Amino acid sequence: MSLQVTKHGDIVVIDVDGQLIVGNRQELKQRVLDEAEGGARRILIDFAKTAYIDSSGLGVLVSLAKRLRELGGDLRLANLNDDLQTLFELTKLDSLFQIADTRERALESF
Amino acid sequence: MSEVARVLEAFSEAYGCGAVLWTQSHPDEPLDVLATSGGEVTPPAIATLRDEHGPASRDTALGRQLVSRVPGRTRAWLGVGPVADDDADARRWITVLVPVLSQMLQSQWEARRAADELAERYEEINLLYSISEILGRTVTLEDAARTILMEVAETVGAEYGALLVHDAGPGLLRPVTTLRVDPKATPLPIPTDDPISVTARVFRTRHALLVNGGVLESEYEAAFRSGAMLTVPIVWTTPDGGIPLGVVSLSGRRGGAVFTAGDEKLVAAVGSQIGTAIQNARLVRASIDQERLASEMRLAHDLQLRLLPSGQAVAPEALCAARVEAADGVGGDFYNLFRLGGGRTGVLVGDVSGHGYRAALIMALVMSAAAIHAQTTADPAETVQALLATVEEELRETEMFLSLCYAVIDRDAGSIRWTNTGHPHAFVIDADGVVTRLAATDPPLGLGPEGLHVQARAWAPSDLLVIFTDGVSDARDARGQSLGEARVLEVLRARRKEVPSRIVDGVFALVEGHMGRLRPHDDQAVVVLRSR
Repeated sequence: MSLQVTKHGDIVVIDVDGQLIVGNRQELKQRVLDEAEGGARRILIDFAKTAYIDSSGLGVLVSLAKRLRELGGDLRLANLNDDLQTLFELTKLDSLFQIADTRERALESF
Repeated sequence: MSEVARVLEAFSEAYGCGAVLWTQSHPDEPLDVLATSGGEVTPPAIATLRDEHGPASRDTALGRQLVSRVPGRTRAWLGVGPVADDDADARRWITVLVPVLSQMLQSQWEARRAADELAERYEEINLLYSISEILGRTVTLEDAARTILMEVAETVGAEYGALLVHDAGPGLLRPVTTLRVDPKATPLPIPTDDPISVTARVFRTRHALLVNGGVLESEYEAAFRSGAMLTVPIVWTTPDGGIPLGVVSLSGRRGGAVFTAGDEKLVAAVGSQIGTAIQNARLVRASIDQERLASEMRLAHDLQLRLLPSGQAVAPEALCAARVEAADGVGGDFYNLFRLGGGRTGVLVGDVSGHGYRAALIMALVMSAAAIHAQTTADPAETVQALLATVEEELRETEMFLSLCYAVIDRDAGSIRWTNTGHPHAFVIDADGVVTRLAATDPPLGLGPEGLHVQARAWAPSDLLVIFTDGVSDARDARGQSLGEARVLEVLRARRKEVPSRIVDGVFALVEGHMGRLRPHDDQAVVVLRSR
């Protein structure tokens, strides 16, 4: 998995390339926390290049969403593939996140 | 009789006068008789001895005697006499005899030197052999360190010394054993970056160092240094060159003699042996720890399996079969079965995110809490809410979460009610093979907001309840392809009319066939239940 960070105004966009699993979840977590530490409050994670997220990856996303909410910010997701979209629905995690089907819509939604 | 004595005898027989050979161990020492065939044996005064000129003449009680230096490494003089006043013949005889004796003494000197050398090497070889033996039969260096240090010190004639091992955490060289100058002094750990300490310097550079007294004196070495000090690194030799593990220092050589290059080579050889022993001891210790951990994991796995009930727990109201395969010895997947009275049956299947000890602990907490709370209410949401209260703090501290499905089947009322916190694979399969998912009512425990929900649907006696965890549908083959939920459901539909135990066997046969010889990367659990 690799991460690329770009900024759109005050929104930080993190592109995830590859699977988000138990072995690399901390990398994403640290990156988001670093951005939050640096003052970012609106963060979008784009999963356009992610085919699979395991249960620990889901845990990290929820943990980060909680953390940002505590800081008065918001974490949103975009571009989940069909399988991941189904996974979020089946596990009711879609009720915890605002998920957009494109990056542009996600940026507009903030 | 020695060879030299035989030569002197032959000389006397041939020339009719006695001969005596004296040797001297040191220029100031008196001469000793090495061999004689007659004539005056009392040695001449040291002051009269000449090194390079021809034979000197002296008068003795037995007559005139010619004394000549025998050249060579051994300090020796030949006395021939008594000789006539005209000693020209005797002087000729001496020129013949002296080279022969010189050659013989040289041979003897070389033989003696070789014997001494051999004796010295023997001591060193014996030391290395002893150390190999000591290290070979000990597991920890601490057990052997003192004996090794004493043996090395004895062999090179040192009175004081220390064997120090590197402690990578704080960056210190810790004395394992010392031969102290003052027995009451406490040897200090030495920082590896200390600029003065010879010991630290040798550790950093990995090169032996011999320093004279008064040079680079450090308070860190005061306890085991007196005067000149020989310090060599302890290195574990690897194909890449070696890893420094510690240092051996020796000082206070007896008689004030200096350490030699030979001493350095010998101690370096010992250092290399100690390095290998330290590394071996560490590997042995790691192996023992690993074995202990594996043993504890096996025990925990057995205990965990004992917590899981048999399918018989819900008889006679239901026929049930279940199996859990843990990925890492102890896992986070679990199930529980309850007879709730009034013909009702409770089925709980859960998956703690992650696996290992923490997941197993949460699993055990939920199992024990569920056994209590399930009996207090027939409402699935109330039971799950009580479970959440039990593990909420643990989930928050570990950043784990718990997806579970708790279904209560009321056979007599013909209904099934469930609370599903983010568990995707819970289904009812009817007699016609129609599969209905028992959809999640809430996000996983530990992630979502407070307040849980219940859903319900009709339940027919021929219906089959199937709940499995994502370790089953996510099982990977050698190419990394996951099995997929659809293929699991195919098997379940095809076998829906078989007894639950055969259905569970069929699912695991599918999983094992897909994975081949690979170990599962996640826990796998399957529960199948039918009413009676």
